[in-house]
Amino acid sequence: MNKELEHQFITELENNQNIVHKVCSLYTHDRESHNDLFQEITIQLWKAYPKFRGESKFSTWMYRVALNTAITLYRKSKKRVLTQDFDSVIFKIKADEYDPEEEKQLTLMYDAIRQLGDIDKALVFLYLEDKNYSEISETLGISEVNARVKMNRVKTKLRTILNP
Amino acid sequence: MMDELELLKKDWQKQGQKLPKLTYDELHAMIWKRSSSIVKWIFIISILEFALPQLLYLIPSAKEGMEVYERLGMKYLILAITVLQYSVVFYFIYQFYRRYREISVLDNAKELMHKIIRTRKTVKNYIIFALSFFLLSFLIIAVGILFSDGDSFLHVFKLEEKAVDMSTRQLKFVISGVMIAMGVVCTALLGLIYFLIYGLLLRKLGRNYSELKRLEV
Repeated sequence: MNKELEHQFITELENNQNIVHKVCSLYTHDRESHNDLFQEITIQLWKAYPKFRGESKFSTWMYRVALNTAITLYRKSKKRVLTQDFDSVIFKIKADEYDPEEEKQLTLMYDAIRQLGDIDKALVFLYLEDKNYSEISETLGISEVNARVKMNRVKTKLRTILNP
Repeated sequence: MMDELELLKKDWQKQGQKLPKLTYDELHAMIWKRSSSIVKWIFIISILEFALPQLLYLIPSAKEGMEVYERLGMKYLILAITVLQYSVVFYFIYQFYRRYREISVLDNAKELMHKIIRTRKTVKNYIIFALSFFLLSFLIIAVGILFSDGDSFLHVFKLEEKAVDMSTRQLKFVISGVMIAMGVVCTALLGLIYFLIYGLLLRKLGRNYSELKRLEV
């Protein structure tokens, strides 16, 4: 395939890889699966890249492909080794930036998000990435009103998990 | 609650420095790896499912089966059924290919899931069709045996020389019965294997799809 296209794609991906890593950190629980999912998303992005015409920002386009891969296309491999240390790498909160009370709260929040279903996670992810409801509705294929209703429900669910 | 979520959002957006960072070369190596996505698996498994029933006919015993049909006087009936069967098989393959081509990672999540499930459904219908035909062929043989004339029946099953303590009529019933029982057991077994594969493959996707659909009610 076209060398120039390849170079362009990898440069864009290199600059925006955080988005993919964040999706992976939400949907997987150990380093191996994280890499697995990262690789699958990369392959899907590359396969779809010829159709990317720059109508939207590269990063916007990435959200859709990355989430689609995580909630639809990806199959967890059977061998799953739980390495607790990796969780804390991704979701480690720097103590000097927050007071301990806040830090505790954040840890609880991340744990709560982990317990959500795949679709709820996608909603929270898009919310955390500061996407508006029209983008959320377009990415998931639900109406804006329903995206709003669902988001409120997810927030309630988080609240219940936090304060049982 | 809003405060907690805002706090979370701020923290989330600061996480950049703590995430892994892959180099250009590492990413370059990745794009040429093989995908192991569910769509790819569906494609491979579906092709196998289309091919396997056809392969059954290449087994020598199946060829002998054709001879049995001939001797039992059902050659033209079977021929007509086979032509019909293959037309339907090719129709299913064409439909499957069209559906498969429609799947795009650039659709929204719901649309993508819907298309995958629809593609899979095409194969599911094909399997139901193939299994019904499989069962039907056993039934046809059973009926054929019942209505065949005694001599050729005994000849087909090589029963002339054997000293069997049963009338030809009784023998016909026994062998028909065995045929039907075999047909039912084999069909059930194949069906079970198929639905297990299908279920395992699409479990996660199916769950997420129904969750998304529930949102629209």
